[in-house]
Amino acid sequence: MALSLIPPLTDGPISYQAIYQPAQTGSFHNNNMAALCRGRHRWKRTNCLHVLTRNLSGIYDYDLVVIGGGSGGLACSKEAARLGQKAAVLDYVEPSVKGTKWGLGGTCVNVGCIPKKLMHQAALLGTAVKDARKYGWQISGPICHDWATMAEAIQNHVRSLNWGHRVQLQDKKVKYLNVKGSLVDEHTVRGLTKAGKEMILTAKNIVIATGGRPNYPIGIPGAKEHGITSDDIFWLKKEMVLSSTRRGSDVALECAGFLTGIGLDTTVMVRSIALRGFDQQMAGLITDYMATYGTKFLWKSVPKSVDKLSSGALQVTWTDTRTGDEHKDTYDSVLWAVGRAPETKALGLDQLGVRLKKETGKILLGSDESTSVPNIFAFGDIGEGRPELTPTAVKAGKLLARRLAGLSAELMNYDNVPTTVFTPLEYACVGLSEEDAEERHGKDGIEVYHAFYKPLEFIVAERDASQCYLKVVCARGGEQKILGLHFTGPNAGEVAQGFAMGFQCGATYSHLLQTVGIHPTCAEEVVKVNITKRSGLDPAVTGC
Amino acid sequence: MLFNRLLPSLALPRHAALTRRAMASADPQTTRLDFLVIGGGSGGLAGARRASELGASAAVIESHRLGGTCVNVGCVPKKVMWNAAVHAEYLHDHSDYGFEVESVRFSWEALKAKRDAYISHLNRIYRNNLDKAKVQNIQGHARFTNDPEPTVEVDGRKYTAPHILIATGGQPTVLSDADIPGGNLGITSDGFFELETLPKRTVIVGAGYIAVEMAGILSTLGSKTSMIIRQSGVLRNFDSFLSTNCTKELQNSGVDLWKNSQVTSVRKTEKGLEVTVVTKDQEKKNDEEKTSTIQEVDCLLWAIGRQPNTSGLNVAAMGLEMDERGHIVVDEFQNTSRPGIYAVGDVCGKALLTPVAIAAGRKLAHRLFEDKNDSKLDYSCIPTVVFSHPPIGTVGLTEEEAIRSRGKENVKVYKTSFTPMYHAITSRKSQCIMKLVCEGKEEKVVGLHMQGLGCDEMLQGFAVAIKMGATKADFDKTVAIHPTSSEEFVTMR
Repeated sequence: MALSLIPPLTDGPISYQAIYQPAQTGSFHNNNMAALCRGRHRWKRTNCLHVLTRNLSGIYDYDLVVIGGGSGGLACSKEAARLGQKAAVLDYVEPSVKGTKWGLGGTCVNVGCIPKKLMHQAALLGTAVKDARKYGWQISGPICHDWATMAEAIQNHVRSLNWGHRVQLQDKKVKYLNVKGSLVDEHTVRGLTKAGKEMILTAKNIVIATGGRPNYPIGIPGAKEHGITSDDIFWLKKEMVLSSTRRGSDVALECAGFLTGIGLDTTVMVRSIALRGFDQQMAGLITDYMATYGTKFLWKSVPKSVDKLSSGALQVTWTDTRTGDEHKDTYDSVLWAVGRAPETKALGLDQLGVRLKKETGKILLGSDESTSVPNIFAFGDIGEGRPELTPTAVKAGKLLARRLAGLSAELMNYDNVPTTVFTPLEYACVGLSEEDAEERHGKDGIEVYHAFYKPLEFIVAERDASQCYLKVVCARGGEQKILGLHFTGPNAGEVAQGFAMGFQCGATYSHLLQTVGIHPTCAEEVVKVNITKRSGLDPAVTGC
Repeated sequence: MLFNRLLPSLALPRHAALTRRAMASADPQTTRLDFLVIGGGSGGLAGARRASELGASAAVIESHRLGGTCVNVGCVPKKVMWNAAVHAEYLHDHSDYGFEVESVRFSWEALKAKRDAYISHLNRIYRNNLDKAKVQNIQGHARFTNDPEPTVEVDGRKYTAPHILIATGGQPTVLSDADIPGGNLGITSDGFFELETLPKRTVIVGAGYIAVEMAGILSTLGSKTSMIIRQSGVLRNFDSFLSTNCTKELQNSGVDLWKNSQVTSVRKTEKGLEVTVVTKDQEKKNDEEKTSTIQEVDCLLWAIGRQPNTSGLNVAAMGLEMDERGHIVVDEFQNTSRPGIYAVGDVCGKALLTPVAIAAGRKLAHRLFEDKNDSKLDYSCIPTVVFSHPPIGTVGLTEEEAIRSRGKENVKVYKTSFTPMYHAITSRKSQCIMKLVCEGKEEKVVGLHMQGLGCDEMLQGFAVAIKMGATKADFDKTVAIHPTSSEEFVTMR
């Protein structure tokens, strides 16, 4: 049933609710609704339903209460309101261990994607200015970067986004409450303001979208006192002449990348492997590039302690697990990027019996985002096995709102999710890693097409392109359906979106070949790829 | 046509090797091959190499440097210059991102030296690739002879083959003094790549993509640039959404745009060229014609179109069908009107793009030497990028074309425009605009048009999906990549 079929009513959003609500309350109303859309007497009937549903929803303060005003929570509550539901969103930022706090919008806007990408852009400009010299730009004097200027501009932008989100909630008639929410029962949420004032909200459905926060390592003296996390780095006002220890997650590599790019001496400590869960050949290319870019790596090392010296510098002690030797060095800052933990502690989930995955502390969810307790749903970073990505949370949130409004049965498809790591050499992928494809289909069941290519922008700039690479992992038999697509290079995120869509449509290797290239771009290399790994031929691209 | 009838037995021999043996005694002076390619540009080289890989003896005749327009005076050096201009924009943004960059000066000379070195390097690569592929490289001008069997003469030596491919490309249209007094004082895009210094004052005539790209590069690198266009906007055969936006972006970036104007004469003075321009709005009947002059012009660049390279080739001897603009007419399999003679690339006048010529050349080789009888290039949904500032990406039908072919009621358009996140903290701003043209109830996406930062790299993947027949619902189903500009396409409402 499309929104446009129904004549606009005069008494505001509540009337949409009147139209849509019956879909949830039983097949009788559903049938009526279908007839109603086709029938001539829509007005009369709609008004009649209107009264009916007011009574029904009158039991609760809200149709939907969302705890967590991040990407997912905002999308879910706004979609619900758009569909005529009475919705509220509760958001409360618990300051980080270091005392950093921020506004509405969750991780992505405040301490994730947005500030990260902007700092990544700053780093790219650091590289660009070096390239510019090769392109005939004569720049006199040294080039300095001022952290404060960058940080202030980024922080102002983030504040404008915080404000934008508040305005949007208001426009879309979502009630925004700056309170810390916890569950009382399956229809009741308790809110606590900063001043300690309590409020009770009742709702037909409750959605938990509180996301996650960065971890600190356990059992390392000084880790918490002297270390920061990604919750803090984007809000630092003063430049940190910095080096840091962390593990090789995407957050670690992205942070290390932009810090190196703006000219800071940066070290990454990696316990085992970089970018676990990602294609390991691609992970290797990314860290190789970063190493030539100037980021230092301490492989197979485990931190032991962090001590503050009288000079103010931080002394980090670690063990090289290959040799068992202990090492020490001093740094100005230590940033931990050792994973993220779900924000479930304050929610009171255990009293209600909401089941969690023991190892991760995340909420166990059905494919419709339902928890083990009726009327309580959860999605986003807090959900067990869900990708920790903004777009999946946004999409899942919208779909959940539509289902809860009884307008759709469509479930979120968590397959085919493309992602990009904004390291100095960007990496984007969709579908399976080569390892996973091999595991599922066997070594003989897959064909990997690959190419080392040279971006034209690197050539005049005399930049080393040895990590600019792409591979298309295909099923070997039949039409050679694409199982996974991986790309490192400039603008990888922009390159990958369209291919992710082709992938979503079931693209095969021959679909790539049938598409005419765009010359000269990096993206065209994907449709030109023709060397298989199996052939053992040189995958380096020469000429146009 | 006469020869055609006289020599029916020569038409498309099935086995090239057999033909070679049978005819070896006919004329010992003539070198016989399976595949003879005239023109060592993108299309010719690709076709010859592929033919050779498939076992044919092949040769490429080229009078200039290998690589053709793309490598020497087209895509590649153009994009190098565009990259240099993009750096100018970055330098502008550096302080917003916290970098302190002191005085900056641009050295055209340094860039040109590097660009030339790179092009020479590519020329060598192309030669090596030919050698590796065992394709003979014949240096010189090709000319069809009047021999009964299609034969090409280069420097007095004759070559023949049962399959001859014409891939001579095109060149910029030049204006002579007869067309416009002083017309030959201007240069074309070929001349642009020979410029040894950055012109201080440039006038570009034309509204096509080459004019737009040249204006963007020169203006961004610091040349005061005027553009003379005949109508009110640039890129008039693009979707009007792009045409309007690109015209606006050019003006915003400081290009001095002369609409409804034409150059009537050019004069050389001591201080440079003096370009006389007549302006008259054709739409306004009462608008008076206004004559103005632009003084002290260092560089007048004609970007008024391209024409096929057929002069000196003596195509008349082959009796090939040509169109009114001199392009060789080919069918969907690249066959000319004469059996055994084919043409690909710009000389055919259709989709003047390197990857098109390459693909057409390769498809032809597969058809001729691998017996793949249905091997041909599908000319629909060819993606194109214009390296304007910011770049343009387009594939498929414009809204206007879709409405013409399917009717207004069957066409639905989705549009968005936003400021890319890169500009969130810069004082310099540029918009990103996007448009989807959908057809029918199922909302099949038949056209995608965009202009903005990164659009050059965004397009390729979408082109694959559109070629596969993607619908708006497929766009909606795809999960976004955050934060990018391209995600806006899959979150459009």
